[in-house]
This record gives sequence, structure tokens and C-alpha cells, in this order.
Amino acid sequence: MRKNNNPVTLDPFQNWAHRWGRIGTLIALIYMIAVPFIVLNYYNCVPSLGAVFNVATFGILAIYIPVGISEALSYTPLMGTSSYLGFITGNIMNLKLPCAVNALKIAGKEANTPEGDVVASIGVAASSIMTVVILTLAAAMVSVISPIFELQAVKTMSSYLLPALFGSMTLGLFASSSAGSKVVVGGIKGVIPVLVIISAVCIFARIAGFAGMILGLVGFMILLMLPVAIITSRILWKKGIIKVVDKEEK
Amino acid sequence: MVTIKEIINSPLLLALVCGGLLYITGFAVVYLLKARKRALELGITNKEVKDIVKSSLVFSVVPSLSIVIGLVALAASLGTIWAWWRLSVIGSLSFETQIASSLAATLKFASTADMMEHATGEQFGVVMILMSVGMLAGFCVLLPFGKKLMTSVDKTKGGNGWSNVLSGCFMLVLLAVYVPVLLICDTIQALVMITGLVVALALGVLAKKPGMAWLNNFIMAGSMIVGMVSSLLWTKIF
Repeated sequence: MRKNNNPVTLDPFQNWAHRWGRIGTLIALIYMIAVPFIVLNYYNCVPSLGAVFNVATFGILAIYIPVGISEALSYTPLMGTSSYLGFITGNIMNLKLPCAVNALKIAGKEANTPEGDVVASIGVAASSIMTVVILTLAAAMVSVISPIFELQAVKTMSSYLLPALFGSMTLGLFASSSAGSKVVVGGIKGVIPVLVIISAVCIFARIAGFAGMILGLVGFMILLMLPVAIITSRILWKKGIIKVVDKEEK
Repeated sequence: MVTIKEIINSPLLLALVCGGLLYITGFAVVYLLKARKRALELGITNKEVKDIVKSSLVFSVVPSLSIVIGLVALAASLGTIWAWWRLSVIGSLSFETQIASSLAATLKFASTADMMEHATGEQFGVVMILMSVGMLAGFCVLLPFGKKLMTSVDKTKGGNGWSNVLSGCFMLVLLAVYVPVLLICDTIQALVMITGLVVALALGVLAKKPGMAWLNNFIMAGSMIVGMVSSLLWTKIF
């Protein structure tokens, strides 16, 4: 199996997104950090450094740092250049990633290609605008709409958004990965160790009675399992067990 | 002494949040227009672009309504303006809700509602700053290494290469972690996921029938809604 080392020539849109997406993201980040400081400074109540960063608060942040790293490592290759906008507007797993997958599926394009990147970016941008509009309307009418959104049935349905999303998205994920001219044969073999480990952890957690905590640990799990899957896939690809073939050859 | 209520209802905070949201909306509009222009140059038809936009807008409604539920809950503990800002940028529904209650406990309040009643401006300042810096870790990877991550899986390199395998690997890991967690850890979650999958399959078959191709644009949105609604049935049975 020969490794292909051709340099990647980026599409004009990808070049634009890498340059302006990063600059735009950086400006947004600086603004987001500045907002609390401007307000607190105006009211002359900026807390001391020790009050903000101490053992207790660092413990809380320590939970979210690996999750943030895990999200960036696992979602960026899937979302391509739409990641910059997706990460600024947040809610990636429950909104932006499914939107990118949906856009790829509708257009019949493959992720990680110039066409896939523009299509995913269109989907994520439209979704971001829609979310801002809905949240603005909701914030303006929060006292009016509160009774509806506090109904038990609405809360129950909302708490099952993620499994419903995964049910609806799974086919789309496979469709977008097989839309190009090349097909990966046997790719699933690379994640068999991950499936076995995670299934064993879940079964153990369910028997031991702490299955409810597992969903909150998914970020850690992805971070730990990514190297397992990449190394396994690499070994199997080198041995010719995982192959990349032209679609017609399949 | 400044109280939490003065800060969360502050006109200055409102002005800054409105300014930030205008910037982010403008950024999204520029992204959309740039991507649309390039899509047309790459041979994607205007109709396909419109279909993607239409489907993305429809698809976003239900998850956005779930975020609205978070907004209603967070508004009670952090004020409407700050909750609106946090859930419109970077923030995720689960992160914001969890960090608000964790910080309330750390600051020795019985609950987020207690914090809303009794916190000083400085104490709320701690919450605002930590919520703002808490989600930065992802950007520390995305900004310096995002381009490298994306080009490492670029499929235009050609050949029967590793980048194709690696690209699929990220998607498969996501499925290999989430699917067992959703299927094994909770019966209702499993049933909701299976319902969504079955409905997506059924709609996919239906969309292949003559005159039903339009359905393709709404398969994900439709199956997600049916999946969520089915949770009402499953919670009654189990």
C-alpha cells in the first residue's frame, strides 16, 4: 500500500474560510471575553483573580477543557471549513453537525472536498442565522412563552433530542461518507475495538447503576477512543484489510 | 454594593449582547454568501443551494426550540440577557446549564435560584467570567490546528490514500461511541433512537417514489421530530 503525499491545493473558498474564518472567530472570541469585563468594570465589581480561578472553580473548568478539545478534534474534520462558524455559534452536536450532514446528504456531496465544504457551510450558516432569530424572539417573549416550555411533555421530548438526532442522522453520515468517487472498504473494522470497549463500559455502567452518568462522559470517551481507532485503522490499512477503491470497482 | 439584578438587567449588557449578536449574524451572512457564490461556480445549481438553505432552516427549528427550553430555564437563574447571549454564542445547552448550577454550588448558594436572589455583583462576575472562558479549549485547538486537521483528511489529494480512511475514521468513532451509549445505557433513549432511524429509513424509501423527491429535504427533520415525540409513548410504557 503506497502512501500518497500529494500536497493539498486548497479551493478559493477554503482559503477564504481559513483566513477570514479564523480572523472572524478571533474577533468574536475577544469580544465574548471582553463583554463580562466591560460590564463588571462599569459597575466597579470586577472579582479578584483568586475569586475567579481557585481550586473549586478550576475543578469545574477541568471537566470542560477535555470536552472542548475533544469537540475540536472530532468535529472539525467532519464539518470542514464550516467549523469556524459552527464553533462560534455553538450547539455543535445537537444542531450544527447534523445540519452540515443534512446539507451534504441533500446535495449528494462528500465531506472534506471543496464541494462538501461549501455545501456544509451553507447549511451551518443558514442554521446559525435561524437559531439567532429564534433565540432573539424567545428572549423578547420569555415571560409569555415560559408556561409552554415548562410543560412536562415538552421537557420530556426535549430531553430526548440527542438520541432522536442520532437516529435521524446515522443514515446521513453514511450517505455523506460514500458520496464521492472513492469508497473505503472495511473502514468499520478500524473502530471494532472502540465498539467493544465502549459497549463493555456501558454494560458495566448499567449493571452497576451509574449508566446515567455515561452520556456526560462522551467527550472524554471520544478523546480517548480517537487514537485507538486511528492507530487500528492505520495498521489495518497498511495490511490491506481496509482498502480505498474507486466506486466502480466496489 | 452592586447586586446581581442590576447587572443582569443592565442596559450596557443588553447593548453589548445586541452588538455581539449583530456581528455574529453578519459573519454568518457573509459566510453564506461566500459559500453560495463558490457553490454556483463549482456547478451546484441555484435550486440545490435553495433546497439546502430551506432544509437547514426547517431542520434548525426543533433543536432551536430545545435550546429555547434551556433559555427559559437559564433565564430564571442568570437573567434573560445573559442566558440569551450564552446560548446564542459558543455555548452549548448542556454546558451552560451544568456550569451555572456547579458555580452556584461552588459559591455556596443552595441553588441557581438562590444565587439569583442573593448574589453580589462580584459573585455574578465570577459566573460570567468562568462561563466565558470555560469553552475556550476547543478554540485553542481549532484556531492553530484547524486548517491542518481539515487538510489531513482532504480527499482531493487523490490516490487510494490514507486521508480517505482517516476522514471516515472520525465519523465512525463518533458513531462507535455515541451509538452504544445511547442504545445500552437507557432503554428509552435506545427506543427513541431506533424510532428516528426507522422513520428516516421509511421516509427515504418513500422519497424514492415518483413525485416524492421533495421529501428528501425533510427526512432528517421529520425523523428527528417523530423520534422526539415517540419519547412520550416510550416513557409511558417503560
